[in-house]
Amino acid sequence: MSWTRAGLFAAFLFVVFILQEAAISKINFPISGFSLYLAVLLGLMSLEDKFGAIVLGFIGGLILDFSPSSDSPFGKWALILTLVGYVFATNRESIGDFTERPGSFVIFISIGSALTLLVFLCFGVLLGENNGAFGTNMLTIFGNSLWTLLFAPILLPGLVKWRSITVNARERA
Amino acid sequence: MAASGNNRSRLLLVILLVTALFLITLDLRGINIAKNSRSATQTFLAPVQRGFSDFFSPVGNFFSDVKNFGRAKAQITDLEKENAKLKNQLVVNADVKGQLTKLKGVLNLAGRGGYKVVSARVIGQGSASTFSQTITIDAGSIDGVQKDMTVINESGIVGVVKSVTGSSAIVILMSDPTFRIGVRIAGTQTVGILLGQGSNRYTLQLLDPAGTIKFGDALLSLGSDNNHPFVPGLPVGSVSFVDHSNSALTQTASVTGYANLNSLGVVSVITTAAKQDPKDSLVPVPDPIKTIYVTATPSPSSSGAPSNPSPSPTSKGKK
Repeated sequence: MSWTRAGLFAAFLFVVFILQEAAISKINFPISGFSLYLAVLLGLMSLEDKFGAIVLGFIGGLILDFSPSSDSPFGKWALILTLVGYVFATNRESIGDFTERPGSFVIFISIGSALTLLVFLCFGVLLGENNGAFGTNMLTIFGNSLWTLLFAPILLPGLVKWRSITVNARERA
Repeated sequence: MAASGNNRSRLLLVILLVTALFLITLDLRGINIAKNSRSATQTFLAPVQRGFSDFFSPVGNFFSDVKNFGRAKAQITDLEKENAKLKNQLVVNADVKGQLTKLKGVLNLAGRGGYKVVSARVIGQGSASTFSQTITIDAGSIDGVQKDMTVINESGIVGVVKSVTGSSAIVILMSDPTFRIGVRIAGTQTVGILLGQGSNRYTLQLLDPAGTIKFGDALLSLGSDNNHPFVPGLPVGSVSFVDHSNSALTQTASVTGYANLNSLGVVSVITTAAKQDPKDSLVPVPDPIKTIYVTATPSPSSSGAPSNPSPSPTSKGKK
């Protein structure tokens, strides 16, 4: 992944982050809220190779660490999403090209978002944070995965298009 | 080549993980990277949130409205009649009208308690991915809002100001799992701690082992030193379930909050507390029970047959 692409992805993710914080979080989804940002980030990571997924995870995590409503230590999301990026890319290689299997993409993103939030909670427990009632947290994770499952098919074409625009000839080869 | 690519990825992974751990360590050691950067983000986001708030205000509750559609079907006929009347009277935008009602309620509560307040509109809610329950309001340090000030709505305590920028502030809601507030039971004055649970249900732990809790007990804020972060005497919630198990040293109970944190439109930040503790004067008074008397009177057509009067109910409303 080139510096230019990393910069373009950072700008794109920042726009999605603003959209998430200013608009999506205003909608009262049933069960629990939907994180468009996580869905987009995991979607982009799943289209990248291992190197790209790790870089994207770190950049995406750093941006999420800027969330004003977050109480977690700065860098926590960066750490978690870097790890998730690595795990994602490692497992993705065994599945193959997602653009030919949209069903797998949707399920992968949905499960990925649930696991990411679960890791976030577990890491919070390790750091001594109070995460609240177990049931409420599980409901939040379940709700988020459900909405990701529903919205991910809409996101896939856009993400594939965005990737094809940003990728240069050398990387394409 | 593949092995070289894998090594490169692993090296990058280690570098980025170490960087992230370094950032976390700095933050936990009190070097406030997060505070400043998040404050800057909030300053940048506040105008955008305000813009989106105006746009999303009518559609924010779209899903809950759809969920209740079936239940509301039976009321459609009545509502259509009512709607015809309202169309003639409706001048003010329904959204603004709702906010005015909330504002009136919160100012009424503040007035009864003798608090000086700054009212603000809710322009944002905490992200679903952070697990923290917060709202963003459109009043900041320019309006006199400071960190650790109590935030109320028309029903009682909503939360506490967590951080402030020039024109906006983030309020941590009562329902946040990290939220703790000292409360006293109205009447008995028994003191306890109320813990946020991530929803509109809270846990009350009494401090006095001899203290008792009853179903329906009203809880008021105990207050803090210099009235920060909590001013005394504000309605918090009512006891909905008492745990009678003997395993704990002190009694615990479930509490339902007075303030509905899911429909916050307008809130007020208490800038100056009352000179005197309002004691129990702000305890919400339940609606009076309406008693309807039904008396049977013989109808004119059956005046010739007094032994079989047809009942013609008349009702007298009494509060």
